[in-house]
Amino acid sequence: MAVTLGKRKRRDILVAESEQEHIDDDDARALFQRAFEAKFKPLEETVRPIDRPEAVPSDHALNEGDDEDRTSDWNGLSDDDARVEVVEHDTADEAGDQLARQEQKAFMSSRPPTATLRESKTTSQAAPTTADDEAETSNLKHDLALQRLLKESHLLDRSSTASSTMAPEGKTRVKALDLRLRDLGAKKSLLEQEKMPLAHRKGIKAKAAGREVTRRKEAVENGVVLEKVKMASQPQKRRERGVGAPSIGKFRGGTLKLSSHDVKSIERSRQQGGSGKGRRR
Amino acid sequence: MAATPAPTALKFTGSKYLVQRLVLATLTGRPIRISQIRSRSHTSPGLAPHEVSFLRLLEALTNGSQIEFSYTGTTVLYKPGLITGSAAAGYGAQGGVIRHEIPAECGRGVSYFLLPLCLLAPFAKAAVSVLFTGPGVITASTEAGDVSADTVRTAILPLFKDFGVERDLELRILRRSNAGRDGKGGGGEVQLVFGHQVRLPKTVHLMSAGRVKRVRGVAYSTGVAGANNARLIEAARGVLNEVAPDTYIFSDVSSAPFVPAPTRENPAAKRKTGLGFGLSLVAETNTGAVYSADIASPPAGGEPPEDLGRKCAYQLLEAVEQGGCVSSVAAPTFLTLMAMGSEDVGRVALGKEVLGSEQVVQLARDLRAFGMSGWGLRDGDEEDEVVVSVVGKGVGNVGRKIV
Repeated sequence: MAVTLGKRKRRDILVAESEQEHIDDDDARALFQRAFEAKFKPLEETVRPIDRPEAVPSDHALNEGDDEDRTSDWNGLSDDDARVEVVEHDTADEAGDQLARQEQKAFMSSRPPTATLRESKTTSQAAPTTADDEAETSNLKHDLALQRLLKESHLLDRSSTASSTMAPEGKTRVKALDLRLRDLGAKKSLLEQEKMPLAHRKGIKAKAAGREVTRRKEAVENGVVLEKVKMASQPQKRRERGVGAPSIGKFRGGTLKLSSHDVKSIERSRQQGGSGKGRRR
Repeated sequence: MAATPAPTALKFTGSKYLVQRLVLATLTGRPIRISQIRSRSHTSPGLAPHEVSFLRLLEALTNGSQIEFSYTGTTVLYKPGLITGSAAAGYGAQGGVIRHEIPAECGRGVSYFLLPLCLLAPFAKAAVSVLFTGPGVITASTEAGDVSADTVRTAILPLFKDFGVERDLELRILRRSNAGRDGKGGGGEVQLVFGHQVRLPKTVHLMSAGRVKRVRGVAYSTGVAGANNARLIEAARGVLNEVAPDTYIFSDVSSAPFVPAPTRENPAAKRKTGLGFGLSLVAETNTGAVYSADIASPPAGGEPPEDLGRKCAYQLLEAVEQGGCVSSVAAPTFLTLMAMGSEDVGRVALGKEVLGSEQVVQLARDLRAFGMSGWGLRDGDEEDEVVVSVVGKGVGNVGRKIV
């Protein structure tokens, strides 16, 4: 019981002190306000929030009885401790939780866990945009448009440039796309037809060959020097050989047949001083 | 091929280290004859079910190997073939996957098959993918001393990175199972995918073990309450947290596998098997060395999870105490791979207790018998460590030589 009494007494004192403070504070405010209004225009009426702790009358009555406590030299705790401090033990740490989940995923997957499980989260930062940057981007855009126009201008003709923008449309769009892809390194053209009847393909090839022949013939007749005919050479592939089979020649009917090419290749490697020692085993 | 005369078969006796010898024979291409396999036993002479199952797996994995048993099964003659892997259809693979059924009488964990398979797979001609199924697959650790499949994944497979084998390694634990009622049979399902084949493993130099920086683990319970996991984890963490604050143990709860158990009255009957729980712990050092510990509830039961968790934690501490860059669980695999490497000196620091264990000493002798060079030993930097120098023989991958 003594403990509770002590608490009540402390609160009592605090209430009294805070009341005193409030009064002082109000006076000072009024003074300041008057001085301000004398110099400037009158202020609006402000309502101060009442933050007094409630004083329970029954407690007062109870406490008035024991004066011994009031006269004890312990003055209670300081003002700061009177405030209720709220501590939140936040167990569900969002970032940590996510990390743990990631780690669980990595560890419990079917792959052997890698050494670097914890990796710092990378946050993409939006680069600050300035007027300079904007100008730069627009310049780049224009540059690209110009480049394209220069490269693809031969696709444009008078009939198809009806639209206001210079962007290719319809068939020319497909052609332009093909050009761009080839520029980026595509091996085959988009427009090349993959499947067609054999007769058609033969016809196309024959036509192309015929055109080439006539071109050359006309050039010779007119005395124009043309480029040399390039012989299409096929890259030599290494043959897939079975396990345990000899790595050179043909093994057929119990005899290993070496072609002259094979013999040359063997001799060549010997002349080079056996530098490629364990290369082919 | 017929031009080279067949080398004479190496002779071994006894059932111990049978798998190790079969693996070495397959890797080096030497035929072996193992005799007196449990010839003293009156009740079960000859090969045990798990050994027969392993021979079957070898046959499925290789092309052209010959296996001959004696009438009682006490003698085996094994002529190895090429390790083809499972991509080639026809040698026991279907759709690129070898399906290996383990019989119900098998009392060994699936790691008994996984560890030798991991040794053979890097030297295969094509990718290896083996699915272990059937009523005998125990993914948990067993009392015979097999580690759990989790430990294989988290403690053995990362070691292959040192040898330059790191792509497409996967160990999928599709269904978990502890050992059955009498310690035999399970009902789990595990798939090993080993997609990185090399001509020769790289030469390794592992000299400093470093200090343990984190501990990870998996607590599993099959067919029993998940609370067992929590109890295992709490007990293990109680021991480990004081020495390694970065300790995480993940929990995996699954139902018990349902395996067919036909009786005369009901041929379609099924029963649950492989109930229990267990814990697999892995400690990793700052230099990448890995120590592991494993424990599972005994098939007879009667051990509370708290005791098992604490035991497992102590086991892990013991493994860390032994030191070295490779723990005793992984040492045979590691040293064999070193011996298969190129003709260069590889070095690894091992704990004295690890090096002096029966299995490692026997491995050294067997390697000698297969014509590998001996090991050089010298004292390491740490007190209880020995630096083992292993000269590779450049045997490597026969199937990859010509490609």
